Order: sequence, then C-alpha cells, then structure tokens
Amino acid sequence: MTPGIPTLLILIPALPLTATIVTAVFGRSALKQNSHRPVVLALLGSFVASLMMLAQVRQESEAKPSQMVGWETSVDLWNWAEVPNALNTPPAAHSASVQGIEHGLPAALPFRIDLTLRADALTSIMLAMVTFISLLVAIYASGYMHGDRGYWRFFSYIGLFVFSMTMLVSASNFVLLYVFWEAVGLCSYLLIGFWYEKPEAAAAGKKAFLVNRIGDFGFALALFLMWTTYGTLNFHDAHGIAGILGQTRLADPELYVGGGVATAICLLLMLGACGKSAQFPLHIWLPDAMEGPTPVSALIHAATMVTAGVYMVTRCTPLFMVSPDAQHVVALVGFVTAAIGGVIAMTQTDLKRVLAYSTISQLGYMFLGLGVATLGGITSGMFHLFTHAFFKALLFLGAGSVMHAMGGVVDMRRFGGLRRLMPTTHWTFLFGCLALAGVIPFAGFWSKDAIIAAVQERAHDEPEFLYLYWGALVVAFLTSVYTFRAFFMTFYGSERVPYEAGPNAHESPTSMTVPLTILAACALVVGAYFERTEGFAEFIKLTPSLAYEVVNSKNVEIVSQSHTLVGAISTLVALTGMGLAAFLYLGDESQVALLTRLLMPLYLLSHGKLFFDQIYNVLFVWPLWTLAQASYWIDRVLIDGLVDLVGRIPPKLAALLRPLQTGMVQFYALAMVWGVVILIFTLLTWPTH
Amino acid sequence: MPTLLLLTIFTPTLGALLVWAFARNDHAAVRQSALVTAITTLGMIAVLLGDFAATDQPYATLSYPWLGDSSGIDIRFSIGLDGLSLWLFGLSALLLLTSVLVSWEAIIDRPATFYSLLLLLGSGMLGVFAARDIILFYIFFEFTLIPLFFLIGVWGSEDRRYAAAKFFLYTLAGSVLTFLGLLAIVLWDYNHNESEIMTFSIPALTAGLAQHPIASPYQLWIFLALFAGFAIKVPLFPLHTWLPLAHVQAPTAGSVILAGILLKIGTYGFARFSIPMLPEATATCVPWLLGLSVAGIIYGALVALAQSDMKRLIAYSSVSHLGYCMLGLFALTSLSVEGSVLQMINHGLSTGGLFAAVGMVYERYHTREIRQLGGLARRTPRLAFFFVLFALSSIALPGLNGFAGEFLILSGMFQRAWTAAPQALVLAYQVMTVLAVFGVALGAWYMLYLVQRVFFGPLKEADHSHSDPPIRDLSFHEVAALSPLVVFIVWIGIQPEFFLGRMRATLGPVADNAVEALDERQGRHERALVGPPSWSDTSGAAGLPSSANRIGGQATRGTRHFSPVDSLVSPPQLPLGELTRVE
Repeated sequence: MTPGIPTLLILIPALPLTATIVTAVFGRSALKQNSHRPVVLALLGSFVASLMMLAQVRQESEAKPSQMVGWETSVDLWNWAEVPNALNTPPAAHSASVQGIEHGLPAALPFRIDLTLRADALTSIMLAMVTFISLLVAIYASGYMHGDRGYWRFFSYIGLFVFSMTMLVSASNFVLLYVFWEAVGLCSYLLIGFWYEKPEAAAAGKKAFLVNRIGDFGFALALFLMWTTYGTLNFHDAHGIAGILGQTRLADPELYVGGGVATAICLLLMLGACGKSAQFPLHIWLPDAMEGPTPVSALIHAATMVTAGVYMVTRCTPLFMVSPDAQHVVALVGFVTAAIGGVIAMTQTDLKRVLAYSTISQLGYMFLGLGVATLGGITSGMFHLFTHAFFKALLFLGAGSVMHAMGGVVDMRRFGGLRRLMPTTHWTFLFGCLALAGVIPFAGFWSKDAIIAAVQERAHDEPEFLYLYWGALVVAFLTSVYTFRAFFMTFYGSERVPYEAGPNAHESPTSMTVPLTILAACALVVGAYFERTEGFAEFIKLTPSLAYEVVNSKNVEIVSQSHTLVGAISTLVALTGMGLAAFLYLGDESQVALLTRLLMPLYLLSHGKLFFDQIYNVLFVWPLWTLAQASYWIDRVLIDGLVDLVGRIPPKLAALLRPLQTGMVQFYALAMVWGVVILIFTLLTWPTH
Repeated sequence: MPTLLLLTIFTPTLGALLVWAFARNDHAAVRQSALVTAITTLGMIAVLLGDFAATDQPYATLSYPWLGDSSGIDIRFSIGLDGLSLWLFGLSALLLLTSVLVSWEAIIDRPATFYSLLLLLGSGMLGVFAARDIILFYIFFEFTLIPLFFLIGVWGSEDRRYAAAKFFLYTLAGSVLTFLGLLAIVLWDYNHNESEIMTFSIPALTAGLAQHPIASPYQLWIFLALFAGFAIKVPLFPLHTWLPLAHVQAPTAGSVILAGILLKIGTYGFARFSIPMLPEATATCVPWLLGLSVAGIIYGALVALAQSDMKRLIAYSSVSHLGYCMLGLFALTSLSVEGSVLQMINHGLSTGGLFAAVGMVYERYHTREIRQLGGLARRTPRLAFFFVLFALSSIALPGLNGFAGEFLILSGMFQRAWTAAPQALVLAYQVMTVLAVFGVALGAWYMLYLVQRVFFGPLKEADHSHSDPPIRDLSFHEVAALSPLVVFIVWIGIQPEFFLGRMRATLGPVADNAVEALDERQGRHERALVGPPSWSDTSGAAGLPSSANRIGGQATRGTRHFSPVDSLVSPPQLPLGELTRVE
C-alpha cells in the first residue's frame, strides 16, 4: 500500500531534517568521513517520496471534481499563533467567507497562522526537481568534499537546506513561506561562508544575507499589506475565511483588490523575489556567493534556492493578474537582469563567475516569461526554471570537477585544453553548454524558445513587447557566445595546467562523474520529452493559481507556425554565437585582443561588472556608515553630555552653599542670632486676621 | 500554589543567607550552593508555570495585611501571577541560573559576597513581577538597584565606579518620580471610591480607576511621572545613555540580568500601570511614544553599527530591540501588544545569551575589542555555534523566537498605521512603520558584522600571556549555562502560540481602556479612516465598528467623561486639595 499525499508531504521535509540532526549530533565524533551517508539516504527517500507524490497529484488533478479550480490539498500540522479579533474585517469585496457558509464573516477577523503544508501540481513538480538535484549534488559532494575538515558540517547544512527548501515550496501560507524563505537564506549564508577562514567567503556570506534582507524588507511589507487588505495570510480557504489564493477567490476573481493596493503588494513581493532570485537591482550578491563550495553553487545558487523568487511570483499569479503595471515591472526587471547578466558574463575570467552571471541572466528570462502574463508565458517561465535546474547544476558541477582537478584554480586564463585530461567532464560540460545556449534538441532550447515565443505572442496586443522580443534574442546570442567562450577556453587550445594541480591532474572520481553523466542525460532529454508530450504546461496548469479563468482567458493559443519560426530564429542565433566564440577562442589570441581594443569602453564596463558594487557603496553603504558614526558622536557628546551636565548641577549647587560651612563657631553664633532676630521681627510684623 | 509562589520568591534570599552564613570561605561550596539555589528556584517555577490555566484570573494569589492602620491605609503583602507577569517571572529564574553559571570561573574575588548579592537580586526580580501591591512593587523595584549597584561597582571593569554611580543615580532619579505618580494614583482612588479604605492593591486600583477615571489633566501629569521612571529603565531613546556604560562595565552576570530582566521592568511598568490605569493620557501620548520608539530602533541600530566594543554593540542593540517592545505596546492592537510581551521574553533570551557568550570570550582573551579578535570559530567552535544562534535569534530569523515577536509587533503596527491611524498622522505612522521594518534589516547588518569579525575570517587572537591556560572551547558548565536559553529560543520560534495563549486572556483587558480612549480621541476628529488609505480604490471602510481594535474585543464598559489634553505644553494647576481627602 502506498502512503497517501499527507504522509508524503510530511515525509519529504522530515527525512532531510532527521538526517541533519543525526549528522550534526554524531558527525564530528562518530560519522566523520561517513557523514554523507545519512543525508544521501534521506535525500533518496525524499526523492522517491516526491515521485510518488507527483504521480498521485497527477492522478488526483486529472480526476478532480469539475467545480474545483485546479486541484489542491493541505495538511495542518500545528497552530503557530492565533490571535482572536485581531483586525476589523476589511471591506466586503476584499475579504470573503468560504462559499456555503451562510452567516458571513464576523466583524473582526482572527490572526491565525498554522503550520500548513499543501500539495498541488506546482508544489509537487518543485519537490521532485529539488530532491532530485539535491540527491545528485549530495552524491557528487561526497567525492568533492572528501577529506575536508568540515565534512560533517557540510552535509548537515545541506540536509538543513533541503528541509527548508522543501518546506518553502510546500508552505500554504505567506508566513510559513516567509519563514522558510529566510531559512534557505540562512543555509545559503552558512554554506557561502563554509570556509569561514577565508575573509572573502565570510564577507560574501554576510553580503548575501544583507542584500536578501533588503528584499525581505519588501516581502515583509507585502505580507503586512496583504494582511490588512485581505484579512488572512493563508493560500487556501481555511476556517471559514477565503484564502488569498484559495478556491473561493479563484472562482470569483472579483474578490481581488485592484488598483494601487494591488500594485503595491505586487511590487513589494517582487522586491522580495529580486533579493532571493538575484534580480536587478539586488543581483549583486550572487557572483560573490561563488566563494562557497562548488556543489553549493550548483544546488543553492543555480538550481533551487535562487528560483524561489520565480516560484513565489508564479504562486502569486492571481495577485499579479489584477495589476498590469506590476506585470510590466516584472517583465522589465527580468529583461534588464537578463541583459546585465549576459553582458557581464562576456568578459569574466573566473569560470564560476561566468556561470553565476549566466544564472542571473537565465533567472531574468524566467521573470520575463512571468511578466508576459499569459498562461503560455507563465508556464514557459516555470518550464525554464525546471530545465535550467538540470543544465545549470550540470555546468556548475562540471566547473567543480575542473576546479577539483586544477587544485582549486578557477581562472580560465590559467588552464586550457583539458578535453583529453578530463573526457567525461568535457562531454558532460558540452551538453550543459548546448542546453544553456539553447541548441535544439537540448533542454534549454525548448524552454527558452517558449519564453521568447510567448513574448512575441504578447507583442500582438502590446507592441512594446516587441522590443523585449528583440532584446531577448540579443541576450540569447550573448548567452551562446559567453557559454562557448568558457567552454573553449577551458577545454580547447593547448593543454595547460596550473602548478596548484600538481603533476598528475586527472579526471574526477566516479562519485562525481556519475551525477555529471545523469545530469547530462537530463540536459539532453527533459526539454524534448516534456515539450513533445506537452506534459509540463498541461500539468502545471492544474495548479489552482494557474487554473482559474482569468489566466486562461488571457492565454493566446501559441500558433505552432510562429513557434517554429521563433524556434528557427533562436537556433540560428545560438549557432551564430557558437560560431563567433569558436572564431575568437579557437584561433589565435590576436582576434580577441583586437576586438577588445576596438570595444574598449564596453569591455571595461563589462569587466568591471557595470560597477554596481562601487555605485552601491557610494550611494548606500558609505552614507549609512557615516550616519552611524555621526549618531555615535551625537550619542557620546550631545545626549550623554547633556546627562552629565544635569548630573553636575547638584554638586555645583552644593559648591555654592559650601562657603557657609566655615567651621567657625563665631560665624554660626552670629548667623543664629541674626536668624532669631529676623524670625521674631517677621512674627511681630506678620499681618494677622 | 500561593505558598509555593511565596517560597519561590524568597528561595534565592534564603540561598544568599546560607551562602553568607555557612560557606563564606569556601569558593567551591559558595558556587555550588548558589547553583543549587538557582536550580531549586527554577524547578519550583516550572511547577508554578505548568499549573497556570490560561484565564484572565490572577493565579497563586496571596494577600496579608502588612502596613496600615485604623485610618484606612491598607498596604498589603500581596503577590500573585497573571498572563503579563508569568513568563517574565519564569525568565528571571532562568537567567538567574545562567548568571550563576557564567560566573563560575570568572568571579574569584570575594565570591561569597558576589553570589549573595546575585541571589538577592534574583529575589528582587521575582518579587517585582509577582507583587500585586504598589508599595510592595516599589520596594522590590528599588531593591533590584542595590545589589546590581554593588555588582557593577565592585566586580566591574576599569571604569566601574562611574558606571555604577551613573546607573544608580539615573534610574533612581526617574523612579522617585514614578513613586510620586503611583502615590497620586492611590490618592485619587481614595478620594473617589466609596469605601473608607486607601487601597494600594494594583488590581483594585485598576478596577477602581475604570469606574472613576482620573481627570484628564492629572492623568497626563501622572503619566509623565510614571514615564520618567519606566522610560529610563527601558531605556527609551534618548534616555538610554546609562545603559551602554553600565553594560560595558558590569561583570557578565550583571549584564545578563540587566539586559534580560531589569530593562523589562520598564516595559512591564508601562503595561501594568500606565496603559490600564491612565488610558486617556496614554492615548494622548501614543504618537510621541511611537515616534520615540522608532527613533530608538533606528538610532540604536546605527550607533551599534559604529561600535568597536562587543559589549557596547550589544548594549546599543538592546536600545533598538526595546524600541520594538515599546512600539508594540503603544501601537495598541491585539497583535502588537501580544508581540511586545513576547518580545520582552525573546530579548531576554537572545541578549542575555549574547552577553553571556561575550563574557566567555572575554574570560578567554581579556578583551572586548572586535578588532583584536577574529576567526574564533576555529578555536572555539561550540562557543561560535551558540553565539551565532543567539545572534540569529536577535536579528529575528524566522523559526527562532525573535521573529515571532517582531512579526506580531510589526503586523500590529502596520495595522495601526494603515487602518486605524488618526487622519492627521496617517503619513507619519506609515513612515514610522516602514522605518521600523527597515530596522530589522539594519539589525542584521551590525549583528552579522560582529559575527563575521569575531568568529569568521583568519584566526586572530588577542595577546594573552603564555602563563595563561591555553584557550579551550566551552566547558561543561558553560554549555549548561547557554543550553536552556537555546531550548526556549527554538520552542518560542516554532510554537509561539503555547506562550501567547497563556498570556492572552490577561493582555486583553490591559489595553482595552486605552484603545477605547484612542478610538474616542480619533473618533472626535473623524469616524472614517478605518479602511485602507487614500490610494485604495474603495471607500467601504468608513464607519466600521472598531471593536477589533479593542484588545480582547470586549463589550464597551460604560461611557466615561472624556476631556483630552490636546497640548502637552499648557501646565494645569495641581490643586492638592483634589488629591488629598478633605476630612
């Protein structure tokens, strides 16, 4: 008998959590270099459970009752807080009781937050993807991290991360989402700073956390605004109150607040997403995050955590649907970020940073897809999230394999021609590059193509999207160029190995090459498989947030003809990019030098990462720092000075009176006599009634 | 249970006497008996708290005539617990245990005196929260000052005398005014109640003043008198400058108790006296108090950022965090008040823990300077684990306790600003709210800066002479000192309802009158403005009943005359005849 969905929902996060605790407690003393075992086992269990859940959710979703919008179910664990009568019920349109309850809503709503997990199409596909990638990364890391002092610590963090990430995608209210949103941020902080003795690593961890806190500032405000607007923070309908993304509201979209409030909520949510998913203007932390161990870069900073923003915006689709302005912002932010990432990645020499900027750029594509705001756009954004997870994890793990062999060197100028030295890494990396560049039939082609096609479709009713369409094609060209630039610089040319690698640099161990091979196979097939079977979009459409009529009515049926045309164009673009990269980096270096000299200003801008760090330092960091110093000065000199001044008054008063106490008896006697005289005189002359 | 409560309060005193009488010359015996005392106290409190039912009825009450005479003065020895004092009472005992354990190796000079004073301080803290009579409260309130004065003045660092004197005089000056204010409350009640008894009982006064509230001009003055003592204690910006100094100079145990408990007496005082007894004055002062709280949040965080001394950094972070507690109290929504009381506990756990951990660093390296240290995670991984955990709790990482408190406070404040702000102040309230939320981000900055500098990066150890013992990771008693705090940090984080539920019934009535006064005050100007602000496209919000803003949502208690003081400037004459009964 297979366990039901509620059991699986609890099991999937519970297994990694248990493994984390086991590793944290016994890792240092007992498990030592076996610390990966509990975690890998738990992740295997979670992955199997996720697959079982995926199958069941699919079954349930397809057999759903007709009046239900999409399909969802939820499990309550325990009550986090319940404050009765917390908020005057907002105006009738904005808070709704669940249909079928006749008496309506009370005058005041409770603030009720439960630990509630949910299952639907979106959650189950995210769970399957997250557990699969993390399982492979954990196996890979057992080879990559072998011999590290903090081996057990690494695996206990990984377990904690998978726990948090699975909870994040199965949370069914905004508070819980926020909790695990920050929890994955904590794991990211801990893992970036894993080699905390490196000052750069410690600083990068702090930077990631702080930049994310700026995003979370927006996210928190969005939560508060939703609370005062809708009177609940639940996704689903619960306890007689319609949830924000629940069946009642989806069945009657009039219940969504429009106007300024909607735009404010969406923009604040988007600020949160920008922090987590490294979008402009908060993208600056992700490249620095590459200081962490490479498996972490693959898992957290490419495949899973950074996509949480995309997941959240997709989940909140109904909220964005009532604010076209916010959707335009999403599209624009996505496009700008894609462009920024693409431009900077062109000239980086650090292999991992190229991939990091490429991640930023690809995440930008996903947001562009979401911003298109048709069903096709949103599902293609999610599809790109899905395929990107496989090939970007593959590329990072490949880069890690190179680093492993090169003694930790990531500077592409210091090695080259590694294709004979590391054949498996070479072939798998090539698969990743083809997928990233979007060459048919690799995974990236299908998803990126779907986004570009959706943008082009949208341009029919809003011509402004035509600019985004051309822009997206240009970025696709850039993607292809920088991807193959990195590939050729690493694996082609004359064989060069840095001295750190030692005399016998060799291919990585099996524990690392097996995950690479599996991921390479995925990078080849996942796109084509899901596209050909139309499986992904059809399935993801069963998520309640995407299943309601507003989204579906906005869907323009993508004409297969234009789809083919766009596909042809983008393939052409990708191949041209490849060709340019081959021309520049397979030949002698004079062409590159010439091009660099010709485009000097552009080169400097790109190489300097568009100087975002410097600009932010001048605009924000230094002023705040100065303000802090000034405040401290005010505190010491003005405020405390005033206190001390007041403190000096009593002694000063005493000093005034002190001369009277001379100690001379004659003076006291004289004073006494005078006193008596004055007293008597006063008494005698006092007017009496 | 009442007897157990009485015993609990005086167990530390008894322990102090025993330490002093029998174990004075034996260091080991001294600290062991202090430890046994602290554990016993905590055990008794666990029994007490476990038995508390979540009702609005006071619990374990006990009341004996104490001072008084035939003329009707009725000062009683009256103790008991309710939802407001419950967890603070428990926290006091928990931190007493922590401070005994952190002093284990650190205090070599006159240990018997030290532990006796520490235990006496423990009795004082427990007494403050259990007292149900104004005079008894005030005695305990002042009593906490004396042991701490000696703890700082004798066992402190280089500048201890100045710090002790400043701490003592500053807080004493404030609390004298507080005492006058409390007496004025008693006198007003005596003048206006039907019986011939001059009661000092806190619940009786609260109930009495609800029947015959103090006339507005006096309310304001009495509020300000109470404010003087409580705001200094909190400390509310800009009355905070004694705090960093006292913290930096105090021995570790002193800092733990000072930050963990003594500051809360200020916020507790507001919640126990000012808000329920002086609702109209509270309503008048709300905008000012919110403003000062937010100023404290931002200012405390900024100044913390500029610190080079670990203890001073954490002290300024307390100014910032106590700003949240005050913000929650005076936002006067059910969410924020519950959050505020929870945050008092949270701050005690996280900042108490941080001070204890800094003390452990200091014991090893004899420095508090951030720039003399680095990479200690390598040398003392367990200490680093605890420190990072306390830091994360302090910066309100979701899943830990700080988040539960701050989230409730900020939701409540947001609700106040967006749905129930006075029309003239909507924008100001909204700006304050956004700044307060931003303070959470700033908080992460200074705290992570501290963690990064001291515990991460390349190993850098302050000079310590080679004769010193080698640096070791935490010993058993140090782990024992910090672990109980961690248990509660995690517990409150994942299930705050357990703690909130037990205080809810009491907290409801605390602010009811003030909320009503606030509504009435705002309602005089306009009854609308309950809904979203002007950029909302709806106007359906106007004129909604504001029962939800009333904490506990209880029915209106009879109408009351109300003549607010619109200006803080015009000083009313204080005719003493009103306050003293004409025979």
